[in-house]
Amino acid sequence: MFPGEIHALLGENGAGKSTLVSIAAGRLVADSGEILRGGSQASYRNARDARHAGLVLVPQHDLLIGAASVADNLAFLDPAAPFFESAAARRARVGRLAQAFGLELGDADARADALPVGTRQRIEIAGALAGDPDVLILDEPTAVLSPDETAALFASLRKRADAGAAVVLITHRLAEVFAGADRLTLLARGRSVKTCRVSETTPQEIGGLLLTNTEGEKNFLEGVWGARPLDSRADTPGGRSQTHPSEHAAQSAATQPLPSLVLTGFAPDEARAVRAERISLSLLPGEILVLLAIDGNGADTIARAIAGLERFSGRVEVGGVPLPLSGDPLAFRAAGGAFVPADRREEGLVAALSLSENLALPNPPGSVFLDRPAMRAHAEERLRAFGVRYASPAALAGSLSGGNQQKTVLARELAHRPGVLVAVHPTRGLDLASAAAVRSRILDACRSGTAALAVTADPDEAQLFGAPLRVVYRGRLSAALEPTTPPAALGRLMAGLEG
Amino acid sequence: MSRESAARRFAVAAAALSAAAAALVGLALLAGASPLDAVRALAEGAAGSPAALGETLARATALVLTAVGASLAFRAGVLNIGLEGQFLAGAVAAAAVGPLLAGSPLAARAGLLAAAALAGALWVMPAAYLEARRGVPEVLSTILLNLVAAAGVSGLVRGALQDPGGDYPQSRALPDAVRLAPLAAGGRVTAAILIALALALFATLLLEWTPFGLKLRATGLAPAAARAIGLPRARLRLLAFAASGALAGLAGGLEVLAVTGRLYDPFTAGVGYTGIAAALLGGSHPLAAAVSAVLFAALGTGSSAMQRDTGVPGALATIVPGVLVLAVLAARARLARKAA
Repeated sequence: MFPGEIHALLGENGAGKSTLVSIAAGRLVADSGEILRGGSQASYRNARDARHAGLVLVPQHDLLIGAASVADNLAFLDPAAPFFESAAARRARVGRLAQAFGLELGDADARADALPVGTRQRIEIAGALAGDPDVLILDEPTAVLSPDETAALFASLRKRADAGAAVVLITHRLAEVFAGADRLTLLARGRSVKTCRVSETTPQEIGGLLLTNTEGEKNFLEGVWGARPLDSRADTPGGRSQTHPSEHAAQSAATQPLPSLVLTGFAPDEARAVRAERISLSLLPGEILVLLAIDGNGADTIARAIAGLERFSGRVEVGGVPLPLSGDPLAFRAAGGAFVPADRREEGLVAALSLSENLALPNPPGSVFLDRPAMRAHAEERLRAFGVRYASPAALAGSLSGGNQQKTVLARELAHRPGVLVAVHPTRGLDLASAAAVRSRILDACRSGTAALAVTADPDEAQLFGAPLRVVYRGRLSAALEPTTPPAALGRLMAGLEG
Repeated sequence: MSRESAARRFAVAAAALSAAAAALVGLALLAGASPLDAVRALAEGAAGSPAALGETLARATALVLTAVGASLAFRAGVLNIGLEGQFLAGAVAAAAVGPLLAGSPLAARAGLLAAAALAGALWVMPAAYLEARRGVPEVLSTILLNLVAAAGVSGLVRGALQDPGGDYPQSRALPDAVRLAPLAAGGRVTAAILIALALALFATLLLEWTPFGLKLRATGLAPAAARAIGLPRARLRLLAFAASGALAGLAGGLEVLAVTGRLYDPFTAGVGYTGIAAALLGGSHPLAAAVSAVLFAALGTGSSAMQRDTGVPGALATIVPGVLVLAVLAARARLARKAA
């Protein structure tokens, strides 16, 4: 790492990117080896030491204080904040940072735990940039940002680098690397495979290296990946080459006219977030609808309310069964629903239970005693089918990397052929290969009759489902859009500049 | 906590034992006695003779049950700190229905224990209801119900339940035919300890080996995930509340049936709180909690003998459990931070 450069760290899920930067920032202890900074050994006992030494890490999952307001959280993150600071000054900081870095930080008085993941991540990024760190490490910062915010972030990062700071950026988006970074390092299974200047390589070469270093998934991926160009911003014929799921829906509609999911005058009762307008829509078996929105616009709340995790008004029917207005995840599941939450660590998995126990929930096998052999066999079958990299079915779910955790959640949710799948950010934080694998699993499920509602903040991702899109902006749904709508147009809709 | 590695368990146990040893040696030196003599007196007083061992096991009965009750609740994420009050509710029920029960002693005992368990489970229900409907933290409500229960016992043994044949603040004695006879003549230990240990085993099987136990543990470990995955969180929590209350109530009933034969005031010297300490020491693992409970009971009986023989204060019996639990919690927290 040199001063003044933006260095991208690439690698598939579980390659060790997050672990590496956590060690550098004092969050984890290294098993061996040393870290040099400015020629001398630098190892920080904790994140606070590192921050005071000018090294700041923006983690993949934010570490804001849930019960504190946005203004207070930003004050905590600012090393220059005075010991006593007026509430007005703290509030003013929110506006100043939002302006300076072009990030939407939400209401200064809102509690952090009431905010969507994307806003929380933006607060963490603004807090990190505010301290003018010498070394800034960002772990997948753009996963939750809109295209405009990503551009603004890169401008801010470039400004830091020009001021002599070193910036490390973990990302799965090759386009960003080639647009914004100076050098890159590719990790695979904890080893550095390649380090070079971005100008000396091509997206094709790096994309190829990423794939050849994921041996276990290679065979499985050939069918999924083969036709698709690596730079997904280019036109995506690959997305259309697969059977369009709604064709299947059209065939089965004659024999099975009952829709899987019907919303009538539906709106989540969510006082703390954006209030969604009343929505009416219906999905036939096998149909997919993609809701595309920047976090904080209510799309995730719509999904959560359908899954029974928020109260709502209006009517939701899953498989013809109306769900209670008070929100009941059990009723949603009993009617054949499956849910992939945005926050896989808090809501997707029980980190302190083993993989086989997680995959056996919510209805573990066994009449009197747990049928552990059956649990183990089921877990091995599911984990293999979803290409999860794991040590043993007895390993704790919390020991997996983020991407592998996400695949485990999908492996569980798609195990029982759900009638309706509601998935929030199903591929967020996954490497290209894993994301493609997850998408193809969802498409497989739809081919066998599952109706899917996917929420995403990534226009490229939205297009790759090859299904109708609706953009959600401040709780309002756009008209249905073709999956081939150009990303730039989608970006304008997401930002509320059009429609 | 259920899946601690062997190395981790060893580290935690080492921390706990060193802390307990330090407390023991320190107290002995303060009292001017030889620490070795103190340990010998402690061990002999706790388990040196059949009578001493019997006394330890008699004391352990209620502790084992409250420790198992606390473990079940904690594993389900229910912080039931009110085992003391539920123990008293069980004792009150036993003292109230005991003298009324007719028929064979076996049926009378079964009726008495059922009433005690039911009373314990009912005593925790206000806390369960307030938590589920109003979001009142059960730590606060259960601890406040302890005070209500203690005041209730105090009033009852001077009022409705007072023995009409005397002036003491105590209830009528159970008929001798109903009371549990000692396992060995002259001792105080009865079959009650076997019931308690069997329930500790049963609770372990339930938690670790049944589908219900897995759901309960998942709810305790990750409430948000349990809800999103579709576990019946409200029902599981209610069952955990009721089970821990019933175990504490049963402990109160067995205390009356096997040890005291009647209710008086004050009836407990903190068996509910010590049970919580035993559960924490045992990592909320019912069998380990039961072993901790027996250990605490042994400290109780042994320390009386130690005070008599060496002059080291018997308060050791209260100090060591406290030090042990603090050391274990500190060691676990440190290891957990390293692992994170």
